[in-house]
Amino acid sequence: MINPFVKNIKSFSVYLISWIFIFLLHTNILYFVLNLSLTECIIDSFVFNLTFLVLGLSFWYSTKFISFEIYSTVKIITNHFTAAFFTSGIWVFLDYWILSNIFNNNNEYLNFLYDSLVWRFFIGMMYYFIIVALIYIIIYYGNFQEKVLKESELKSLVKEAELKSLKYQINPHFIFNSLNSISALTLTEPDLARKMTIDLSTFLRKTLSSNEIQKSKLIDELNNAKLYLDIEKIRFGDKFIYSEELSDACMTIEVPTMILQPIFENAIKHGVYESLEPVNINFKCEELDEYMKLTITNNYDDEAVPHKGEGIGITNIQSRLRMIYNQDNLLKFSKNNGIFTVTIFIPVQ
Amino acid sequence: MDKINVLIIDDEKLARDIVKKYLEKQNDLKLIGECTNGFEGVKSINELKPEIIFLDIQMPKITGFEMLELLDHQPEIIFTTAFDQYAIKAFEVNATDYLLKPFSLERFTEAANKAIEKVRNNKSNDYSTLLSSVNQNLESINRIVVKTNNKIVIIPTEKIKYLEAQDDYVMIHSELGKHLKKQTMKFYEEHLDGNTFFRVHRSFIVNLAEIKQMDLFEKDTYKILMKDGSSIPVSRSGYSKIKELLK
Repeated sequence: MINPFVKNIKSFSVYLISWIFIFLLHTNILYFVLNLSLTECIIDSFVFNLTFLVLGLSFWYSTKFISFEIYSTVKIITNHFTAAFFTSGIWVFLDYWILSNIFNNNNEYLNFLYDSLVWRFFIGMMYYFIIVALIYIIIYYGNFQEKVLKESELKSLVKEAELKSLKYQINPHFIFNSLNSISALTLTEPDLARKMTIDLSTFLRKTLSSNEIQKSKLIDELNNAKLYLDIEKIRFGDKFIYSEELSDACMTIEVPTMILQPIFENAIKHGVYESLEPVNINFKCEELDEYMKLTITNNYDDEAVPHKGEGIGITNIQSRLRMIYNQDNLLKFSKNNGIFTVTIFIPVQ
Repeated sequence: MDKINVLIIDDEKLARDIVKKYLEKQNDLKLIGECTNGFEGVKSINELKPEIIFLDIQMPKITGFEMLELLDHQPEIIFTTAFDQYAIKAFEVNATDYLLKPFSLERFTEAANKAIEKVRNNKSNDYSTLLSSVNQNLESINRIVVKTNNKIVIIPTEKIKYLEAQDDYVMIHSELGKHLKKQTMKFYEEHLDGNTFFRVHRSFIVNLAEIKQMDLFEKDTYKILMKDGSSIPVSRSGYSKIKELLK
């Protein structure tokens, strides 16, 4: 932090104008109340106030090190009281010396000056305390603003990090199992191996590169999710069947990126991985008044005992939707008669 | 020399294919079957008695580890999986090797040779230490797989009413009936969810949700009355702890 009084032209102007005001007040009091000559008034006021103006600039350097966080209140008061005492003392004697040299023949004024030194000393103490109090206010207001700024920065950082971590839930086992399938296909069906390599690369590229984009078109999302299904199809063959029901309007709406694929992955993981029978996965998109309704259903083996970590992908999407749209209950899921249903509502602006 | 019989258990066709391809290059090994899940695996292993199995871990219904618990005949095990986090557990069940998918022919041959050597030298694994060594792994379980009369039953832990010690076995009383499992009470005490299950007696672990009431039996002796009507003795130390829990 730098001295707030000289931080920029504006703050220095405020400091200067304040002193000009005090200078005028000082001059007027001497002139109208104490009936000194105008020259005496102006010179007296000018010398005293200009010296304090200069002295005042230096208070910052002592004050910023005597902070409330480090020192006790008693110590702070003692320190500043001592500083005020000496500053004001030096100020008064310095100005007394200057003025007595200027007015060395004017005995009337010199008598007045001599008599007023005690009062001037107390006024100097008062100026000292006012300036120090101002500096403390400036320091604490600055700290407060900085804190508010940092807090809001931190909040947006946390939110961004959360969104990112929620998005990257690619299951590494999916990648390794797919690579294993490719390894097997190279021996038997090289063409299919090549197709699967390309599919996997495209899927990974899309998933990993969409990091900066929060939203994309539903059609893009769906295509990416279907790429994932294509890869799983090579692995599992007839063990699942995919079908879809889409209205045209559905394709153009924007949805948060990576919301469909984790749900399909969930269907594969808890439906296909766990079942001995083929699994039907259906995707449906309907237009409602203020929402677009996306429904994904899959049958699953009722007897399969859930593994741990079930639904983490789904709760992740739930929290992402809440963060993005500031609305609860945008994702619902239910298990009924061996059918697992996930419903997502996308608000339409 | 006789060829060594090998069985593959994996739910993915392509994963079985690559093992099959690699096996073609092995003169000492003969493939006698393929299974697509743990149920088939138990049946085939007990019938065909292969000397070596290539076993996947994540499969429908029951995992590779759960399948091993149900075997009468214990072959040499080579795990083939994309999951690296089960390596320690695999070591605990005395697996010969642990192949991480995808694996090379060299790595496969190395594993196969290790297993062949074990079979040839008849270094049979002592599987009686198998189950007790798994105890070291304090991961909690959410289901128990048992086999009765060639039928495999999966018991979710929330359906268990109570467990009763019977010599080297544990009798599992659940909504699905009574099933005997070769396991220790200590294992279940450590691996079942401590918020739900409680060892009230040297020979009994109860599901707290299934308790109806606790009655004074004789002076200083209590018994638990379960919702299904069965009565379970409570040890003195078990009593003071369960009184806290039931508050």
